[in-house]
Amino acid sequence: MNYRVVGIVVLAALLAAVPSVASEYWLVLFTQILIFGLLALSADLLLGHAGLFSLCHAAFFAVSAYTVAILQTRYGVSTIPASLAGLCMGTLLAAVFASAVRTRGVYFILITLAFGYIVWGVAYRWASFTGGDNGVTNVPAPALGGLQVVSKAHYYYFVLAVLAICLASYRILTTSPFGLALRGIKSSESRMRSLGYRVGAHLYVAFVISGFYASLAGVLYIYYNRFVNPVAASFPISVEAILMAIIGGTGTMLGPFIGSGIILILRNWVSGFFHYYTAVLGLIFIATVLWAPNGVMGLIRSWRSGNRGEGA
Amino acid sequence: MSNFAIEVDNVSKTFAGLRAVDSVSLSIPRGERRVLLGPNGAGKTTLFHCISGTHQPTAGRIVMFGRDISRVSENGRTTLGMGRTFQISNVCTDLTVMENLLLGMLGTKSQKWSMFRPVASDSQLVGKAVASLKEVGLQGRENEEVKYLSYGERRQLELALALSSNPRVLLLDEPCAGLSPSERQHFSKLVSGLSREITLLMIEHDIDVALALADKVTVLHRGKMIFDGPPEEVQKNTDVKEVYFGRL
Repeated sequence: MNYRVVGIVVLAALLAAVPSVASEYWLVLFTQILIFGLLALSADLLLGHAGLFSLCHAAFFAVSAYTVAILQTRYGVSTIPASLAGLCMGTLLAAVFASAVRTRGVYFILITLAFGYIVWGVAYRWASFTGGDNGVTNVPAPALGGLQVVSKAHYYYFVLAVLAICLASYRILTTSPFGLALRGIKSSESRMRSLGYRVGAHLYVAFVISGFYASLAGVLYIYYNRFVNPVAASFPISVEAILMAIIGGTGTMLGPFIGSGIILILRNWVSGFFHYYTAVLGLIFIATVLWAPNGVMGLIRSWRSGNRGEGA
Repeated sequence: MSNFAIEVDNVSKTFAGLRAVDSVSLSIPRGERRVLLGPNGAGKTTLFHCISGTHQPTAGRIVMFGRDISRVSENGRTTLGMGRTFQISNVCTDLTVMENLLLGMLGTKSQKWSMFRPVASDSQLVGKAVASLKEVGLQGRENEEVKYLSYGERRQLELALALSSNPRVLLLDEPCAGLSPSERQHFSKLVSGLSREITLLMIEHDIDVALALADKVTVLHRGKMIFDGPPEEVQKNTDVKEVYFGRL
């Protein structure tokens, strides 16, 4: 029997069972883990596959969340068109910010950092439009056709369904010739150029697709949170998305979600009795870099190959 | 159409005042096998980079099959039919042998943009990759990660990669550097077995390998061309002797 298939079925069954066994506190936390896992996954398309360390993914996440919130609360646009508009705005922004792929390494990190701050600054300062510090509140529950998704369990299932589609498309994308080319670029740009690849164009498209997934996370987030403020666009969110991917294991599909689970559960748990929660997060990150540079997924993989013996 | 596969027209390349390549002109007819010789620092690799598009020449033109490609990007030249290997092995070490080869075969096709179908499901492409691995003697190593390959095997993979786009012009930059004598033999056999349709330009320090393969030899010294002629004459030429052995 194929372990992968068994694993997927068991995981899907466990996730589907969450609302019937977990308390509301855990259910809400799980929904959050899935949404931020998707954000981490989007950043990891660039980090784990193309080798680009982006620090502006909160921007796409926030712009799509703000778009949905403003359209719904101020203009009474219904869920589906508002969500599509959110996706479009986030992806369009990504198409602009993707110009960062002209740079590499630390310059890429710095320019994406600056892009991220621009969006945060706009969200924070343009108070007449974005609501400033208070953000946009009272976003209604999502309604699909005549069906209102009010209960937390229903929304959890909705997020789960969207994620299933996302993961399937992500899987195909990363195993396609395009995805393989990204990993080739990560490994050797000069070789890829001499093989006939327009490296810049590939990275640009990857950046836009990554921005699309981040925007989708933003749409899921606004209907989960029902309000949005500049925190969603802030630097810590971009960093956390990347850290989630690194802690869980870059270049994998499950890794970003594991990382998201570790960080969010720790935050909810540790912050209950220890004020300096971020220090704990820092220690975990240091430990990851020192002892598990390939994250949890890397640990699992080396444990499995260890069990099989040092063959091959 | 032009009878020449590659024409280098008065090409110079300057790095911060250093003239690495100084007004070099050479013409390589279709199907010829040309070896580029010269001591270290002669400008051979720089000239190579100018031909492949890695460097933009400071002056002069590069013409391929009668078409001026001086302004064509490196990847564009690959699409036009140029393949190359690097002096220091340059393959995607994090990927498997098969993945490297698939990338090579897709590089000149629009299919490289396909996003909706796993690359491994293209059995025709995979079959071709397996066949070309066999050609360079890497059969059975498809799923090995390249970082676990020996140096010699990486050289073989480089050649397979350079050939994977079906190039009409092949640039080999010291393909035998760092190989053991038996690997050299194996490699020069591989190269001499290539189709005569492919125009070959090769840098090689190993004189035996070079002379066995070459139809014609070009010698560079301090960026200038000092000899251009048949291999029998290169060892008798006084300028060349002077460069390698000093004034006798």
